Amino acid sequence: MTFVSLEARALRVRSRGVNPQTGQPDQLVEPVSLSLRPGHAVTLLGETGSGKSLLAQALIGALPSGLVAEGEVLVNSVQQLTRTAAQRRALWGRMIAVLPQEPWLALDPTMQAGAQVMETRWLVGGQPRPQAWQGARAALRHLEVEAAETRLPGQLSGGMAQRVAFAAAHTGDAPVLVADEPTKGLDISRRDSITALLRRHVEEGGALLTITHDPAVARALGGTVLVMREGAVQEQGAAEEVLIRPRHAFTRALLAADPEGWPRQAGGGQIGAPVLIARDVGKVRGGRRLFSGVSLHLAAGEVVGLSGPSGCGKSTFGDLCLGLLSPDSGTVERPAAAPHRWQKLYQDPPAAFPPKVTLRASLMDVVRLHGCDPAEIARLLLRLGLTEGLLDRLPSQVSGGELQRIALLRVLLLKPLFLFADEPTSRLDLLTQQETIGLLTAAAREQGCAVLLVSHDRALLDRVCDRVMTLPAAA
Amino acid sequence: MTLQRWVGVFLLFSLLAFSWGVPLIWPLDPARQDLMVLLTPPDFDWSVGVTALGTDHLGRSLLARLAAAVRLSLGLALIGVVTAAVPGVVLGVLAGWCGGWIDRGLSLLADAVFALPGLLLVLLVLAIAPGSFIALYVGIALLLWLEFFRVVRAQTRRLRQAPAVQASRLLGFGPVLLFRRHLWPELAPVVLTLAAFGAAATVMATAALGFVSVGLRPPVAELGLMMTELLPYYDEAPWALLQPVAVMALLGLSLTLLAGKDPR
Amino acid sequence: MGPLIGSPLVRLLLARVGQGVLVALMVGLLTFILVRALPGDMAYRIAAGRYGFDWVSTTAADAVRHDLGLDQPAPLALLAWIWDLLRFDLGQSLVTGRTVAEELSHQFGQSVLLAAWAAGLSLLIGPPLGVLAGLRPGRLVDRGLLLVAVLMRSVPPFAIGAVLILVLAVQARLLPAAGYGTPAHAVLPALTLALCLAAVSARVSRDAVMTVSGSAYYGFGRTKGLGGSLLFWRHGLRNAAVPVLTYFGVQFVALVEGMVVIETLFAWPGIGHALVHAIVARDVPMIQGAALTMGLFVVAMNTVIDVVCHLLDPRGEPS
Repeated sequence: MTFVSLEARALRVRSRGVNPQTGQPDQLVEPVSLSLRPGHAVTLLGETGSGKSLLAQALIGALPSGLVAEGEVLVNSVQQLTRTAAQRRALWGRMIAVLPQEPWLALDPTMQAGAQVMETRWLVGGQPRPQAWQGARAALRHLEVEAAETRLPGQLSGGMAQRVAFAAAHTGDAPVLVADEPTKGLDISRRDSITALLRRHVEEGGALLTITHDPAVARALGGTVLVMREGAVQEQGAAEEVLIRPRHAFTRALLAADPEGWPRQAGGGQIGAPVLIARDVGKVRGGRRLFSGVSLHLAAGEVVGLSGPSGCGKSTFGDLCLGLLSPDSGTVERPAAAPHRWQKLYQDPPAAFPPKVTLRASLMDVVRLHGCDPAEIARLLLRLGLTEGLLDRLPSQVSGGELQRIALLRVLLLKPLFLFADEPTSRLDLLTQQETIGLLTAAAREQGCAVLLVSHDRALLDRVCDRVMTLPAAA
Repeated sequence: MTLQRWVGVFLLFSLLAFSWGVPLIWPLDPARQDLMVLLTPPDFDWSVGVTALGTDHLGRSLLARLAAAVRLSLGLALIGVVTAAVPGVVLGVLAGWCGGWIDRGLSLLADAVFALPGLLLVLLVLAIAPGSFIALYVGIALLLWLEFFRVVRAQTRRLRQAPAVQASRLLGFGPVLLFRRHLWPELAPVVLTLAAFGAAATVMATAALGFVSVGLRPPVAELGLMMTELLPYYDEAPWALLQPVAVMALLGLSLTLLAGKDPR
Repeated sequence: MGPLIGSPLVRLLLARVGQGVLVALMVGLLTFILVRALPGDMAYRIAAGRYGFDWVSTTAADAVRHDLGLDQPAPLALLAWIWDLLRFDLGQSLVTGRTVAEELSHQFGQSVLLAAWAAGLSLLIGPPLGVLAGLRPGRLVDRGLLLVAVLMRSVPPFAIGAVLILVLAVQARLLPAAGYGTPAHAVLPALTLALCLAAVSARVSRDAVMTVSGSAYYGFGRTKGLGGSLLFWRHGLRNAAVPVLTYFGVQFVALVEGMVVIETLFAWPGIGHALVHAIVARDVPMIQGAALTMGLFVVAMNTVIDVVCHLLDPRGEPS
């Protein structure tokens, strides 16, 4: 079957059941129209919960059972929403290939990679076995991962798993490719290699639908961009138009939240006494030398960035500075002061709080323990743009961005000399990231606290830090 | 709390009320034989009570015997679970938190006890003093502490490495506060579940041992023993045999429902 | 040797050997305490068992005393006791006078037969039902299974056996209630054990299937275009089988525990029955031999299952 187009006309998604509060079904995605054609890329850009994944699922017929799609989905001008689930599934793998999120989890851990690529051609595409194997090997060679054929997914690197999943997702000639957050959790170089892969699909005449939160990905793919927020499309148009001359305020804010576009923060505030001197520090973990000969001199009020490739020991270096680990070589000196004045912010905010205790109780523990002024909580709440009511909830009941700010509040109560912020915003949306990083650096500079900020986003560090230190890849 | 647990609580309280209520209302002796009324079917005559649920092959009141048997099973389960849970939890937290040789030593001990199937262990302990309540209790407690120890140790090890605990340590929390804020809220529901499972296991092991005549000895009223004694009369008096079976099932059911999801 | 010792399978087997040694030590220790705690003069009783009651003399008893090390201080005697055990020198039955090994070989065969029937039957009942429930969670099969599983878990095996006797042997008169000899005699005890095992393995299978079918790789298989049963055969079965089999190993403990009681209930001449008899008769060598055999049986079966899991799961790490 030749592919002409996959179109959505006034496609919307609602819950099957009725919301007891409103007496009506919840409308999760407002009417959207878009068109996928050969050689054309369409990108859905939005934050967590904006409904972009639901829209894609409605388009391919993979909505969870509690949700209903309405409007029109047309494949080669044939309405899909009236067809049975089985009829719609028949397109998967053959006409529509779905590239999974986090491909290293999407491959069967107990089956060799080659067999997983081959089975789609054999069992879905109906090719004879030898031919399916041939096609699978050719596809892996095409993607430069022949070595993966006889390996188990656990033995593949993230980048290899991504390519294997790409090859396994379809019978070999599926014209439509749907990629849901293909760059989630990847560092910049891996992100660029996957966008190149997607672009190649378009250049070879395929249609591409990408879902992403990252404006850089949308920019790299070109084509049509739809900016979504709270289930509705805010702005829709050619990538060059939307991403360069956004008309809608939300698009402008979203683009401005990309660290590439942040204004440079003026550093050079009051630099005070040294709070940390690390000399020629080295550490071996799990039989692997992570780094050696690293030195850092940090003074009160300084914000220093720490970057480097995944697995190079950024977190370990931070824990050495905090005294949580001791170095195998070199020395870490800290001026005499109470140990609780060296603090840490964690990557995953909910993991940093006792899960079954209210936030207020967690904060009051700190206040009682160190005789802080309880009024300080109210002042910091105001400073960090938080409301008092949040404190009566459990950590799981507030958003990630709010929780990270409460974690910041908790450490600021102790007037820290040094704060190690270990990728504090990598799990947050762009807008929330911008706000959180801004508050973090500003509050630290006000209090004269030194910050060591880890991020895999070099642009972010360049914008907000006084200087940036880079660890080389581990041996 | 889930509906399932509420049903379990309700059943358990009904059984408690039955077992402690019966002797208050009908002061019957569960060991008193009356050879004039052997294997009489239940007459549901609640004024006297002796034959309300019928009598066994020695003319003993089944009503009194069932109540006594439930008291015995639950009593043993309660003291068994409490004496097993306290050292199990304390040692589990100790081994999981401290690690090192404390952990290795305690884990080796646990592995040694765990190497044998539980019932075999209790049987061997019981063989030293057959029919003795103390031996039965020691055997069961020896078996039960292990579950608490293993699960609590594993949970503690997991929690100790959690970022939340590291964060609290950096904030200056001492061991007491760490235990109150981080360990206990996570461990308490697990310990409760294990206690209910442990109680069910105790009740069933006691009955199983009584049933194969190596547990408590006649004339004690015990569910497993009652079943063995009444089994030869299954043809004449199936209603008599079914009573301890049904009570056993209700006991087991109430405790299993109360336990909720198995944490192992 | 280095890479061999490091390989997961070898590590696993070494751990099982260690477990076997621990079983022997525990059995030895407990039976040693048992010998020392028995009332009366153990040596006389054993001598009577060995030479017949008419031939017991102080000389014979002293010889036995010396043999068993009862004249030695306890720690030394314990070491000697355990040494005999590790050499599988189990001694003679105090009741029949025949060697324990001789007695147990027949009974063990009967027990293995029963265990094989029970385990096989439970595998035919439990996992298929569990898979059915797991593929359609919340439906009738699933809910029904949950109810039955909770009920079965709440009742000890012998009570289930008693009910089966009442229903199938007494009321319907389909099967003999007790004894052995014909295949029909094996049905009720095997079925009783199998039902108890299946109630649990069905739940474990259901949870395993639920986990697999909720996994990212199962979802990916679906969007690759693999249809229902094809998907299950390619990516479901193998991944779900590993935890189910691992749990099946754990169930051998329950099987052996059940055997003690069920063999007694149905008068099946197996090793569990022998253990109970030996305890009643205070026949220490038999107690020791039976407990050791049953303990090692569990370890051996778990070893087999470890190897099967290892072959099934190419990752080489048992889950």
